[in-house]
Amino acid sequence: MLEISDLHVDVDGKEILSGINLTVKPGETHAIMGPNGSGKSTLSHVIAGREGYTVSQGEIVFNGKSLVDLEPEERAGEGVFLAFQYPIEIAGVNNVYMLKAALNGIRNYRGEKELTSVEFLKLVKSKVKAVGLDESLLNRQVNSGFSGGEKKRNEIFQLSVLEPMLAVLDETDSGLDIDALKAVSDGVNKLRDASRSFMVITHYQRLLDYIVPDYVHVLAKGKIIKTGDKELARTLESKGYDWLTDGQESAA
Amino acid sequence: MTNSLQALLQKLPEPNSDTGDWLERLRSDALKIISSRDYPSTKEESWKYTSLHDLRKNDYLIADERNTGALLKKPYSRDDFLEADKLHLVFINGFFQPNLSTDELLENGIKIRPTKTKKADEKCNLETILKADLSETFSALNILTLCDSLLIEVEKNRKIEKVIKLILIGESSEPLLKSLRIIVKMNENSHARVVEEYRSHDKDAGLTNVVTNLRLGQNSTLFHHRLQMESMNTTHIGKIDAQVDSGASLYSDSIVMGSKLSRVDIDVSLSGRAAYCRLNGLFTGINDQHIDHHTTIRHLVGETHSDELYRGILDDNSRGIFNGKVVVSADAQKISARQASNNLLLSKLAEIDTKPELEIYADDVKCAHGATVGQLDETALFYLRSRGLSYKDARALLIYAFAEKVIESIPLPALRQLLENKFLGHNQMSEFIQQG
Repeated sequence: MLEISDLHVDVDGKEILSGINLTVKPGETHAIMGPNGSGKSTLSHVIAGREGYTVSQGEIVFNGKSLVDLEPEERAGEGVFLAFQYPIEIAGVNNVYMLKAALNGIRNYRGEKELTSVEFLKLVKSKVKAVGLDESLLNRQVNSGFSGGEKKRNEIFQLSVLEPMLAVLDETDSGLDIDALKAVSDGVNKLRDASRSFMVITHYQRLLDYIVPDYVHVLAKGKIIKTGDKELARTLESKGYDWLTDGQESAA
Repeated sequence: MTNSLQALLQKLPEPNSDTGDWLERLRSDALKIISSRDYPSTKEESWKYTSLHDLRKNDYLIADERNTGALLKKPYSRDDFLEADKLHLVFINGFFQPNLSTDELLENGIKIRPTKTKKADEKCNLETILKADLSETFSALNILTLCDSLLIEVEKNRKIEKVIKLILIGESSEPLLKSLRIIVKMNENSHARVVEEYRSHDKDAGLTNVVTNLRLGQNSTLFHHRLQMESMNTTHIGKIDAQVDSGASLYSDSIVMGSKLSRVDIDVSLSGRAAYCRLNGLFTGINDQHIDHHTTIRHLVGETHSDELYRGILDDNSRGIFNGKVVVSADAQKISARQASNNLLLSKLAEIDTKPELEIYADDVKCAHGATVGQLDETALFYLRSRGLSYKDARALLIYAFAEKVIESIPLPALRQLLENKFLGHNQMSEFIQQG
């Protein structure tokens, strides 16, 4: 589904990613871990197509199609979704309106018929319970005045409505208390199936207790330095990253 | 050499001050005042940013009833203007069109009357009202070249349920000067909502010069929405002069999207204890539009309050001006005045000049003002695009979001929807908001 090969990315003329190789198959969940400044968020943004992230070398191929030259909305149309670490507050814009515009944007891109408001509201009502979103949040302004937990739940709610093939979750656990973390993880787990893939970017192993990954990758200084299964995350939790980045095992 | 204002005045018949008609007398006074003047120049402080160069160049024809016939569009019918729960009054090229307007002009408790009759109206004291701003060039010109005027008087203790909507259309193939006068008199404890909607044919290149006098008696409430959507070739000069008596509240919005050059002056006097005004404004400029608002709020007595919020959105080479003056008289203690001017520049060549002006002569007051100038938030734009919105839709949505603060304060759903449409096309956000 997603094939990243020898990906080099510059931000403001500085190389942040230095040769990433990563393959995500349908239905798989990959966790990306690593210390601050290792390039985790850059990876998520470059997949979603944020301006200012320049691919100087390498490829990002999604279902056989290169994403590198596509606009963010075209990538959404292809089936890519990025859950933001800090979801943007847009006062003055109704949450459901924004989401309808998004879904119809994607449907337009795919040459599908736009949903009417009635059809859309029906869809929304069916999804809202699945992620445990308080229905009153629907008609509020986009993320405006939402608590940290509500914002993240709103991201997952958007994910459930837009039904991407690949969802990149950028530090979705940051700023969440344990109840919110469980609720958000439940929402994500309900959306996991044999065809949808997830890339979960996180600092902490805690999230991976709830969203159990198939693979764990450790990113450091712009490169994947180690790949393992969920046990690798536990090792990192107890040992930290130093034993990997220093190239030597600690005496634990 | 005669200047362009004098050249225009020479087209007028001499006012006849001997008839004893007070309006003729007023015209004669007006002529005395401006007979030696020219249009305001950028050397005057209040016209510093707004050049009337184009207006000077134009050889305007003064509208009279004959040239209302020179229409660009097929004839209208009353049905073109019908809206539920509204009393509508249509003016074309400066003149009232009874055939196109609501026929129930005399509802319970409301007097709506084109003031064609030039007799003094003792009860309403029109002469005093019209005299008030004669010293200003455009107000004097307004009296001198007046087409029709309209008096709306709301009876004491009446709440008018229907919205009174004035539709003022410019439709001439010639460069026509249309001078209009609107007077709204709210008697004690009355309540009304008035919309002034200015439109014009795409090809209209006229000059609109309109003065609105609002008189709010004790404890009355007036919602007043001024919507200017004339064609991009017109010049629009507007003036609102308001007096708000004790316990009365004025909510007045100025929304400007049209005209090549638009200048609106708003002057509100809060003259009785607990008088309140809220002045909101929203303007959008594209191409080389020039949109100027000068507002003055006078706190003449203590315990009066005002709120003011202006939002400007400027694209291409357009330019906006907001000058917000607040004057607090020496004895006007315990007043509050809040002012905010927020502006969004969508292009490198767009420009906004925003200036608060506070003149405070009392010491126990709460005055706050703030001005901001910003651009579209790139992160928000990326957020929306990453969700699937096209660049165009994402941009439109963020611009709407900026305007929304003014739009949401308008208590008329039909007007809110019209503005929403202007920003978002036909995808209505309100259908979701109403569900909630």
